[in-house]
Amino acid sequence: MNVIQATLTGALIGGLYALMAAGLSVTWGVLRVINLAHFGLILIGAYLTFQVADSWHLDPILTLVITVPAMFVAGAAIQWLFDRLRLTEFNSLLVSFGLLIITIQVTSNIWSADFRRMSADVNPYATQSVAIGRLVFPVTTLVAFGLAALVVLASHLVLRRTFAGRAMRAIAQDRAVAGAFGVDHRRLSVLLGGIVGATAALAGMVFALSNALTPDTAYEWFGTVFAVVILGGIGEVVGTFAAGILVGVISGVVSAVWSPAAAPFVLFSAIILALLLRPQGLFAAGGVR
Amino acid sequence: MRRRSLAVIGTALVLGAAAAGCGNGSGSGGDSDKPIVVGSTLSLTGAFAATGQIHKIAGEEFVDRLNANGGLLGRKVEWKVVDDQSDQAKVSQLYERLISQDKVDLILGPYATPNILSAMAVAQRHGYVMPQHSAVLAPQLTYECQFPAWSISPTPNSFIPNQLFDAVASLPTPPKRIAVLTSQSGSAAFVSDGFGDDKSGTLSIAKERGLDVVADIHYPPTTTDWAPIAAQVRDADPDLVIDNGLGVDAANILQAMAQLDYRPKQMFGLFPAPGPLLALGDEAEGMLSVSMFEPNKPTLDKLGPAATEITADFTKRAEAAKLPYTVFETQAAASWNAWEILTDAVKESGGTDQRKMCDTLHQKGADTTFSGHLTFDPKVQNFWPTTQTIKQIQNGDWVTVWPADRAAAQLEGPRS
Amino acid sequence: MIRRGGIGLLAAFLILAALGAFSDQLGLSSFYLILLGSICFWIAQATSWNILSGYSGYFSFGQAAYVGVGAYTTAVLSGRHGVDYFLTVPLAGLLCGLLALGVGAVAFRLGSLRGEIFALLTLAVPFILAAFARINRSIDGGQGTTVPIPDVPDAFGGLPQFQYLLALLVAAVAVAAAYAVQHSRMGSALAAIRDAEDVAEVMGVATFRYKMLAMLLSGVIGGVAGSVFALQIGFVTVESVFGLTIPLFVIVMGVLGGRTHWLGPVIGAVLIVTLQDRLSSYGLDAWNSIILGGVLALLVAVAPDGLYARLRARPLVALGALVVVSGGLAVLNVWGDILDWLVVGMLVASLLAIVLGSRLVGARLPFGRRPAADVAAAEVAPDQAASAEAVLAEAVHAEAVHAEAVPAGPGTGADSGPAPAGDADDAEEAAAADGAGEADRLGPVLIECRQVARYFGGVHALEDVTLDIREGELVGLVGPNGSGKTTLINLLSGAFRPTRGVIRLDGQDITRMAPHRIAHVGMARTYQIPRPFDSMTVRDNVAMAIMFGREPLALHRARPIAERHLATVALDHLADAHPADLNLHQRQLLEMARAVASNPKVLLLDEALAGLNPAEVDNAVRVVRRIHESGITIVIVEHLLRVLNQLATRLVVLDRGTCLADGEPQVVLNDPAVIRAYLGRQAHV
Repeated sequence: MNVIQATLTGALIGGLYALMAAGLSVTWGVLRVINLAHFGLILIGAYLTFQVADSWHLDPILTLVITVPAMFVAGAAIQWLFDRLRLTEFNSLLVSFGLLIITIQVTSNIWSADFRRMSADVNPYATQSVAIGRLVFPVTTLVAFGLAALVVLASHLVLRRTFAGRAMRAIAQDRAVAGAFGVDHRRLSVLLGGIVGATAALAGMVFALSNALTPDTAYEWFGTVFAVVILGGIGEVVGTFAAGILVGVISGVVSAVWSPAAAPFVLFSAIILALLLRPQGLFAAGGVR
Repeated sequence: MRRRSLAVIGTALVLGAAAAGCGNGSGSGGDSDKPIVVGSTLSLTGAFAATGQIHKIAGEEFVDRLNANGGLLGRKVEWKVVDDQSDQAKVSQLYERLISQDKVDLILGPYATPNILSAMAVAQRHGYVMPQHSAVLAPQLTYECQFPAWSISPTPNSFIPNQLFDAVASLPTPPKRIAVLTSQSGSAAFVSDGFGDDKSGTLSIAKERGLDVVADIHYPPTTTDWAPIAAQVRDADPDLVIDNGLGVDAANILQAMAQLDYRPKQMFGLFPAPGPLLALGDEAEGMLSVSMFEPNKPTLDKLGPAATEITADFTKRAEAAKLPYTVFETQAAASWNAWEILTDAVKESGGTDQRKMCDTLHQKGADTTFSGHLTFDPKVQNFWPTTQTIKQIQNGDWVTVWPADRAAAQLEGPRS
Repeated sequence: MIRRGGIGLLAAFLILAALGAFSDQLGLSSFYLILLGSICFWIAQATSWNILSGYSGYFSFGQAAYVGVGAYTTAVLSGRHGVDYFLTVPLAGLLCGLLALGVGAVAFRLGSLRGEIFALLTLAVPFILAAFARINRSIDGGQGTTVPIPDVPDAFGGLPQFQYLLALLVAAVAVAAAYAVQHSRMGSALAAIRDAEDVAEVMGVATFRYKMLAMLLSGVIGGVAGSVFALQIGFVTVESVFGLTIPLFVIVMGVLGGRTHWLGPVIGAVLIVTLQDRLSSYGLDAWNSIILGGVLALLVAVAPDGLYARLRARPLVALGALVVVSGGLAVLNVWGDILDWLVVGMLVASLLAIVLGSRLVGARLPFGRRPAADVAAAEVAPDQAASAEAVLAEAVHAEAVHAEAVPAGPGTGADSGPAPAGDADDAEEAAAADGAGEADRLGPVLIECRQVARYFGGVHALEDVTLDIREGELVGLVGPNGSGKTTLINLLSGAFRPTRGVIRLDGQDITRMAPHRIAHVGMARTYQIPRPFDSMTVRDNVAMAIMFGREPLALHRARPIAERHLATVALDHLADAHPADLNLHQRQLLEMARAVASNPKVLLLDEALAGLNPAEVDNAVRVVRRIHESGITIVIVEHLLRVLNQLATRLVVLDRGTCLADGEPQVVLNDPAVIRAYLGRQAHV
């Protein structure tokens, strides 16, 4: 019973990991930018959700009306900057790390370094759950999973069915050739940066639903989120979703049957194994690349 | 080309060496018109920042009050507080700078046990008196001029569980089956497992008292997914959940359990951040924790008007600094104690001679607003007789409930 | 050269050591010792990272693993088991060395290891180690370990002096190691790996061994420095040593300073640590991270090659700025203290070097390697601009000039020299006829392929090819696209291994040999798209092949020989240029010079003429013939049958992975099966 419950909640929380990782994976795969500032966007998304919900007594899910456009603009701006600078993959990592440090400090200056949590009266979701017999599904994780599934489905459709999507895949494969066929790489990458920023708003909102916020949380996401990106295959949206679920299930089950301390041990050992056996990612098939 | 670059390095080195030699003539204390400078670091950013903020506000308030009342020995007091970014490696470097470079007259300890240990080594090297607010594990604090401002007896690893078990044993139906959750952090794990050769802690004491430990879970301080822990506790369904953890651990575990539609009969958290638990609302009602001070009306009335004034002023400052939880409680009281130990030592020894200050404290002790008169015995690393209490969330507020003679309200058992 | 650098390093070490040893007499406050000690720790860590990641280009995110294991070894052994501190330091180095070798053995055996995969793999290692330490609570007692203060010999003075001197020693050894590596064969090998790893391997560089060596060095240095770090912080917990900040800051320092040079991490560490200290000293706590992050983002954006390169281009300007600004502030003495002055000086110097070094300003004032590049560009430009006839005339002219100017032929073989430019065509025809007649009196078999097959998943790229190539032949390998020509070249050079079958070179079975060992038996190749080592000059590109060839030579002895090979392909006037400044034809000639320089028995030319204009093709053909005449057996893949008809002594036609025809060019080209399979589809021939 315990294991089944752990598997289910793990899989659902995997939705949050996937939401956080999807944007990172896509910018890396398509635009060749390892954007650590993405963590900063998620952080700001979470704090904005907290702020808007707490001061205007707005339902936290409705705050997306404000956070999504805001993060879209921020994401687009960052991508525009990267485009301007013409950075190599690794230098993009360094520049975005600089941006991340700045974001964390600014967050801390605005909201203080203390824990921030939406109070129970504005955020009823934190403790709600849906029960089927002895099995329980926390509402926050259902929201995370649902949003992740929605994002994956939408991006899959966009990439497969629309001109912009096909153009993005062309860019991922060969920027120069895509350019020769009239794909405006600049414009598309700014658009993509914006969309990725919007997913950061979603991830931030979901995180704020069930967690106390401190500016330092951003660093704690690194390990898990990169694990999901690698396992899913860089640039693979569907793969990222599957990997998020897998990571959630592994952590949940290992914590339940062995020890929470053992979860990272098993998870990262599994990642090394996966890298050795399938360096292109466990679920790399289709997707963007 | 290489020769030139080497010449550059060489010149830079010589320049540095030469200038370092002549750059050490700056300020030294002693003049009566100059302010007395107190130096310390606090974790204003990084992992410990949530609590570091509290100490900063309390310290600023203390210094302002002190200066408004004529300062120390007729001199103004100035506090130079530096951010150590919760990075232990930075602490010793910063204290070294405060003492040997900035030549501060007095120092205070930083926040969090590992940082305090790093700072203590520097203080010891320079013979500085170091009051510190939050390291409670006596065997680690071997420096004779280190003065704890928060004492949970010299052996907190057995004192805390015993006090807790005593408290809950007074209930009509005392708990029999307990779950012990332990954060693998140097600031908490000793309460479960003991420290060094002293293996007594919650786990061993529970056994001695005939309690049944139905779940024993150690989790890393970096845990973010609490559902598996919550599920294990739910399945064990103990009478009392003991979380020997820090910060938001307890709040996160409670919430994760609530999401599983489970509510523990009774829960204890070791060093939780007080605010987030209150934000949980009804879910956290009845929660237990340890405390040195809670500004409950009966307690404040006993302490007199100064205490009320201090706590009210703190709340105002904390609100201005946009802290989410603005109550003057254990951490702030510990901070206040540390400042009073330091200033008492200066007053009683009549100056900032560190040796004299240290000896004076050993001989005369110190008077504090919130913990009364403290005595320091070097044999037990200066840990004074504890004033530790147990507090509980009742009607959305923290109140002292144990021991009975200091309680502001009655300890409440599990809600049926 | 090496001695001068070594003396400089030693002098710097002695000055700094004296500073520590006599700090009391100099009135140096212990804060400076602690700060310098901290700088030394970061220098050691950044250098440890740089030896692997900077030199070889494999970015590691796992520096915390070395710091953690090193610090834990010392803390646990000396703090909980009473082992002498000085014994734990080498143990820490040993353990980290073993860890590094373990990680390297796993990572570098990976068939398709890419840079980002390596980065992420190393990112996972500290997480695993941290979790391991937490699961096994008996390691540190579950809550961290205090590091006892070792008994310091009186000669060292107090603990701060001792800590500083120890950290300085470790940093000095680390930097000396980085210096030695950079100026040794290993440095060249790692640079080649960074530029084009598989090319280096095929050229004879034992890439796996050098990467493992770099891993080992990096691990040992990181571990020893981690052990010193344990003493510096005094109390070791999992969070304080296995965290993410250490690898991130190490990378920041390495990249900021410049990662291809031993001094880069030193500059980065000094700048970052002192800057951080100053910011916190001025109470700019709330701004500390913002400024640091901004500096990082800005510097990487405007000077991606790192500060060192910019400073080196303008050493006097930088030094002048440092002296004037720092000295000026010191003389005025109205603000701050020595550290402030130095930090401001360093910032101004860096800023100046960056601004002056940026392309806009730099173009107007020739400096560094720009002039050579400009010369190359100037020579290349007319070629590209002019019409075909003009190009032809010019090329012929250039050829004649070089033929006269350069003493004939490569060192190894024949001496017939270049044909006079005027009657090149006649000579070609004669040689072709000659070659055809020669087939019978050829030497022994050099390459033997027996039933060689290679599958990629379900695709059969090659199917049971059996082929003998004799010494002195010039074999043209032709076939339609996808017929398996390049696959065969890759199999022969060892880049791929055959699915089945046996390949022998000069009697030795090379089927399962590592490419660099095949190279040492006597195989060399070129690439269809030239792949030079971009960070090296044209001369050093060729010298690399000699350094790591069959009879290895030191770089300074390889360079003159390299110039002779460059002369053979008429590139000697561009010896100081960098490959990026060459046009396609020149890069292909460079490929050939590099291949020939390794003194091979067999040279594999993979479409060496693709993309050239007619004049360039003629020139390339002459070079190929010259190489052949020097005694090297050649296998050439080419689409232009007209050229092969003249050049080759024998043609082998592949079609869908099998050998369709094999024999004299005229005979093969008239074979109906060949015409059907190949010519029928290649309308342009």
